[in-house]
Amino acid sequence: MNVFRPHTLEELFRIRREVRGTLFSGGTDVQVKIRSGSLSPTALIDTKEIRTEKIVKNDGILLIRMNTTYSDMLSFDLHEFPILQKIIPTIGSTQIRNRGTPLGNVCNASPAGDFLLSCYLYDASIRLLPTERVVKVEEFIKGPGNIALEPYEVAYELQFPVMNNYLYFFEKVGKRNSMNIATVSAGILLKLERCIVKDIRIALGSVCPNVFRSTELEKKIIGSRFELPVFKEIAQEYSNAVSPISDVRATADYRRKLVRNLLIKAYFELGGENDVQGS
Amino acid sequence: MRIAFNLNGKNYHRDVSEEKRLLDFLREDMNMTSVKEGCGEGECGACTVIIDGKAVNSCLILAVEIDGHSVLTLEGLKNDIIQQAFIDSGAIQCGFCTPGMIMSTKALLDSVKNPTEEQIKTALEGNICRCTGYIKIIDAVKEAAKKYRGE
Repeated sequence: MNVFRPHTLEELFRIRREVRGTLFSGGTDVQVKIRSGSLSPTALIDTKEIRTEKIVKNDGILLIRMNTTYSDMLSFDLHEFPILQKIIPTIGSTQIRNRGTPLGNVCNASPAGDFLLSCYLYDASIRLLPTERVVKVEEFIKGPGNIALEPYEVAYELQFPVMNNYLYFFEKVGKRNSMNIATVSAGILLKLERCIVKDIRIALGSVCPNVFRSTELEKKIIGSRFELPVFKEIAQEYSNAVSPISDVRATADYRRKLVRNLLIKAYFELGGENDVQGS
Repeated sequence: MRIAFNLNGKNYHRDVSEEKRLLDFLREDMNMTSVKEGCGEGECGACTVIIDGKAVNSCLILAVEIDGHSVLTLEGLKNDIIQQAFIDSGAIQCGFCTPGMIMSTKALLDSVKNPTEEQIKTALEGNICRCTGYIKIIDAVKEAAKKYRGE
């Protein structure tokens, strides 16, 4: 196995053209896969030595570039992205967040990818070089571990639009706080106007081969009153719509129940029936 | 591959196999045997070292990745404030996790002078101990923080 450590993007593109290889930055997933034997690359390309501005806010869009770690994200002013502030500390551990990157999480394309879930919520895009293709993350992910990256391309940047005046909910169900791979995770962005749902986005992790989001189901909620019967009904519909598997973390049936209960819980956490809450 | 790096304050040049993990390189080539292998997959933190000021798992890093960077292991700590606090608080039983715990503590105290219990737990969340039950470890970090501040 050869390891390449380019210092410039030009050098990176050349290596990618000539040897292709497996790209990595933090290596927190790639090294585990190599060690377990599920990945045996002939060449590894470490992008960490390429110095680009890591994370930038530009014209209402958050740009998360190559080699930006989760720790870099947490030291950036993310007040316009409160749900990211909530999700990132639940990822891995301090050691993992010091090394692992959101871009790597997306390219890993795991249905349990916590950061990936936020990309679906924000309809985030990914920018690929040197082709300058910009595609929706949802389209970039083709299946578990399968991404629409050409052999000569590199993933360079995630683009998150600012979404003002949205309430948010995020919960990850698992067995412990750190190093926790989600049994089920749920993220919601909600815009209310006088008790009417103006917009809602619901993303679920670990319940399907990909992160689950259904604009069809979301459309059914938009325009409804923000009230418990609506959420109870929609919670059941999501529970029916997902296709979880049974694995070492939970059974499929338990995951479906979690989906339903998490969405009902979300209603209360998002401020539903304030007077009832806690009684 | 030939690499140049700083380890515990000294500069080195070494030839290293591109497949070698930093963990193995530190133990076998540099005799830094405080760096322990527990799980080998970034879950347990026994192999924690500090690279450029940040706590990382040396089992998930290739030795070639330290080319041009600074690495600190337990052997490089200039004083024994944290170690002594671990001893005084009874935070050590078998001791296997201790070097990693101390390196995570060091990274925390270098950036936060007066950490809350929550910050301590976050800093140590990637370090597993199977003996002590963590309470004494957290006490030790609080103790070390006081000494670090010169109290």
